[in-house]
Amino acid sequence: MIREHNILIASVGGQGGITLSRIIARAAMKMGYRVIVGETLGMAQRGGPVQSHVRIGSQVYGPLIPEGRCHILIALEPVEALRAARYLSPESTILLNETVLPPITAILGEVPYPTLREVVEALNRIGCGVYHLNAEKLALEAGSKRCLNVVMLGAYMAYMEAERLNIITMEAAEEAVRESVPSRYLEANLRALKLGYEALMKSMSSSAY
Amino acid sequence: MSGILGGEGEHRLLMGNEAIARGALEAGVGLAIGYPGTPSSEVIQTLSRVADQISMRVEWAVNEKVAVDIATGYAYAGLRALATMKNAGLNVASDTLMSVAYSDVKGGLVIYVADDPGAHAGMEEQDNRWFTRLSLLPMIDVSDPQEGKDAVVMAFELSEEYEVPMLVRSTTRVAHMTSIVELGPVRELRRTPGFERDIRRYTRASPKWCMEQHERLNEKLKLLSGRVDGLPVNRLHIPEDGAERGVVASGISWSYLRELLDRHGLWDRVAALKIGTVNPLPRGLIERLMEGVGELLILEELEPYLELHLRAVASELDLRPIIHGKMDGWLPRVGEYTPELVERALGRLLGLELERSNREVEEARAEALKQAPRRPLPLCPGCPHRGTYTAMRMALRELGYKDGEFIVTGDIGCTILGMHPPFNLCWTEVSMGASIGLGIGLRYAGIDKPIIAAIGDSTLFHAGLPPALNSAWHRSRIVIAVLDNRVTAMTGHQPSPTSGYTATGGEAKVIEADEVLRALGVEHIWVADPYNLEEAKEAFKEALRCDGPSAVVLKRVCALVARRMGLTEQPYRVDPERCTGCQLCLRTLACPAMTLSPEGKAEIDGEACTGCGLCAQICPVGAIGRSEP
Repeated sequence: MIREHNILIASVGGQGGITLSRIIARAAMKMGYRVIVGETLGMAQRGGPVQSHVRIGSQVYGPLIPEGRCHILIALEPVEALRAARYLSPESTILLNETVLPPITAILGEVPYPTLREVVEALNRIGCGVYHLNAEKLALEAGSKRCLNVVMLGAYMAYMEAERLNIITMEAAEEAVRESVPSRYLEANLRALKLGYEALMKSMSSSAY
Repeated sequence: MSGILGGEGEHRLLMGNEAIARGALEAGVGLAIGYPGTPSSEVIQTLSRVADQISMRVEWAVNEKVAVDIATGYAYAGLRALATMKNAGLNVASDTLMSVAYSDVKGGLVIYVADDPGAHAGMEEQDNRWFTRLSLLPMIDVSDPQEGKDAVVMAFELSEEYEVPMLVRSTTRVAHMTSIVELGPVRELRRTPGFERDIRRYTRASPKWCMEQHERLNEKLKLLSGRVDGLPVNRLHIPEDGAERGVVASGISWSYLRELLDRHGLWDRVAALKIGTVNPLPRGLIERLMEGVGELLILEELEPYLELHLRAVASELDLRPIIHGKMDGWLPRVGEYTPELVERALGRLLGLELERSNREVEEARAEALKQAPRRPLPLCPGCPHRGTYTAMRMALRELGYKDGEFIVTGDIGCTILGMHPPFNLCWTEVSMGASIGLGIGLRYAGIDKPIIAAIGDSTLFHAGLPPALNSAWHRSRIVIAVLDNRVTAMTGHQPSPTSGYTATGGEAKVIEADEVLRALGVEHIWVADPYNLEEAKEAFKEALRCDGPSAVVLKRVCALVARRMGLTEQPYRVDPERCTGCQLCLRTLACPAMTLSPEGKAEIDGEACTGCGLCAQICPVGAIGRSEP
């Protein structure tokens, strides 16, 4: 019985953050949990920041994770993890894709863009544990950059297993992926799920934070 | 794969707007019609995707008023109609709705309106609960998807029982939240349409009839008022041993309150009233609450609508509970409520420290956030508006106008994205179609600069035609730039009169903006392809030289639609040998498909590039060309 498990997915429009939130929500529903998804996207659906709040448990009613109550932040882009800072606390764990999508202002050098190391340090200062992986590379390996979100789902599955947070089983996750992605991308996505899972398992066994 | 087609008793994960769509199925709605607008669009969109499996006519109308006109006619014929719109859409529809309130609708007529506290969609934070005071119409304000679905079904029942149009309101948080919904039975009404002449009901042409209708509306409201206490959208909780303090909540605030009362175990310490009918108010429940408590907290977003009414009830009953809300400054009138805001107010009411705060953590969070650079809203790769705005700038420059020496009025939709760098065009954004009227007004005021009104095709057809007609009639010297991307793009690519298809994918007549403008009397019109900078620039130059009203129609399908239809072309690539690293392409176009290599050369992401070719036209050294297939 879970009372409240809050997953925040921070992404840039077009990265598949919203689809990922739906996949996790479907999987949680299959496991018999109450689940609520809230979205903050404003006009920024294309290329702007998107935050999806997935809330699982018997005591959740609102669509937003209250400040500081995020358990797991899945960031599909490093800077988007920083942008989600208000939801984080020392009890939060962050799963981070390393590959960056700098805005045009940063590309042209008009504004500074933090390095991966700076991002991780800033998150560590809040007290969060951070695991990062190159999800884009793994997604390409799986067959398409579009599977980046499902690579991160794989990482989340590995993290839950390691922490014995058995909220969603691999079967439920796979089934939810099947129901949520276009059939021509299904095989690639299932590979992505596995690759993300293995990558995080490996990095968790070799190093922590 | 739509979740809304499940059987009775099934549980489905539905977004608020999808739940509203399901409600329409369960209510036996025969016509669902609306105009796209965030955060309401998904209702019609969801229904349109399953239209071939349900017996419902699903349609996008040219604007909200037309949608409500059509829905009213349908309901006059005895069948059930749902009209949907965003907050400002109700303003457009209100002309009809104010009047229809006085008619007796035979079939159920429900208007679904989605407000936007927090201005996520970049429009006013209009609180449409006040529309009930203006129109006298009943309204249900919903707080989650399940309630949204159930409220639609209930609204149709009540609409027919009292022969009055009903409003169902949600907000962005509710409309766009997804949760598990238990489905009810789908109904199919097999009614024979009929409409009888009854001018005492269906016209307002005689003052006597009009006032009789007004009186009847008031009577209906009084009757309905006696019913609402018992409706499931209104709920009163009083702890067994009573409570000194109470909370009143509506909409999303109720979800936040429930969660807090659960988490902190406070249900036995406060009375709680959830209000779902903002008109008529559940008077009996309000009285019962007020008789028991000495202090009340009211949780509602935007205006103190409930607060004012509750203060009035208290004064009528000669009760003097201390009422906290917006009027004593406990809670803001601007922006949406958050769980934290509600937690703080609840803690203050109960004299409890409910929030955990840790200074160090808070500082580290603020520090982290500061390091995140803003993401300016870009135009998508291949967006035709990029070509339009680039060509517009080129034309103005070649005619010798510097920044500040011309005015571009902007309009609603993707068009307004031209206000961002590097284009820095679009000085105004007021309401649908207003770019044209504003331009005329600026001209009348004596401003002699070139004035361009930038407006999308869907926006032009929605409310831009009357001002265009006005400009032609009075020979106003403005340039109407129609950014014709063949869809209603910003809200999710719903068809517009230029698309050639209907909401459900059926064939439709293609209406061309240039032909319509010509018929309205705009004599000087150029049509150009925004992917062809030279052509578009020359068209703008010609139009700017005109002495009367002129128009440039820039036709090219939205790049996201083109991609979905497989219409994109071979991507471009940069020859790193020839690229001098001048960055002109990036600085002029700000295309998200372009970046700089570590060596400072322009680079194109072949997966993101749609092959529009603007960068190749901008490059001064010819370093950009189409990649090999």
